[in-house]
Amino acid sequence: MALAERVPTRDDVQNFAAVDFANLVRRHQAMVFSIAMHFLGDPSSAEELAQDVFLQLHANLKSLKSESHLTFWLRKVTAHRCIDWKRRRRLPQVSLDDAPEPSVPGQAGDPFLARRLRQYVASLPEKARLVVILRYQEDLGPEDIAEALAMPVATVKSHLQRSLAMLREKVTRAMGEITR
Amino acid sequence: MTLPENELKHALRRREPPEGFAERVLARVEQEGTRKTQKARESLLDFFTRPILRWATVGAMCAVLVAGGFYYRHGQELRAQRERAQGEAAKQQLMLALRIAGSKLQIAKAKVIETSVENKNREVKE
Repeated sequence: MALAERVPTRDDVQNFAAVDFANLVRRHQAMVFSIAMHFLGDPSSAEELAQDVFLQLHANLKSLKSESHLTFWLRKVTAHRCIDWKRRRRLPQVSLDDAPEPSVPGQAGDPFLARRLRQYVASLPEKARLVVILRYQEDLGPEDIAEALAMPVATVKSHLQRSLAMLREKVTRAMGEITR
Repeated sequence: MTLPENELKHALRRREPPEGFAERVLARVEQEGTRKTQKARESLLDFFTRPILRWATVGAMCAVLVAGGFYYRHGQELRAQRERAQGEAAKQQLMLALRIAGSKLQIAKAKVIETSVENKNREVKE
């Protein structure tokens, strides 16, 4: 008789994350670190914040029920911690120029424009910056962003529109300066 | 100028954290666990080293002892009362039993006398 596939129990689902915390950190570290990095613009602060997020995750492992819940939780907590962090400590703005280039090889793109864009994103207002990061780093739709940041979808959309307009204007101005 | 979404996605793509990040997180988790245990132990010790709290603890313990004494004494009184009541009930039962036995004896005695009188009368007649 063929052995029936084992059906995961409720405990299995609840403790899925507790099995291998190190593996879990490695799987999600790029996401958490990048949100923090793009928001704070400072690698050491971003690492400290990301570590705090994972410490909080370790304390809340049992409340997380699935992989998608975990990802949602991590994005939400990271976003909230970014805002708290910025409010508590006034960091020197935008040191992204000093930050190392991504260790993950990216798609082809203009590295100069990419660097400029990161600088401009880091100069956006806090909420708008988070919206842009979640939209373009995490590829989330306005509804998901609204849920993660606990704000209305309309607000997310208007943040996106205004931020894009602002970024477009800054890029245009920068390009104009270069070609002049 | 238009701002292609791809350029933004490229600029904001995920980055790996510096080497050894996961190990540092795990070390902090372990450190945090040890710190919490130590803190709990220290706070317990600290509690007893503060003079006000020390005296408060002593006072509370005295109050508990006094209350315990009263409670014990009250319990003992209740027990004695219950025992007295039980003794009284047993006494009543014994008295009743004795009364019943006495009346039975009276009846038996009367029967015996009656029988012996009848026997005597029969002997006289004969």
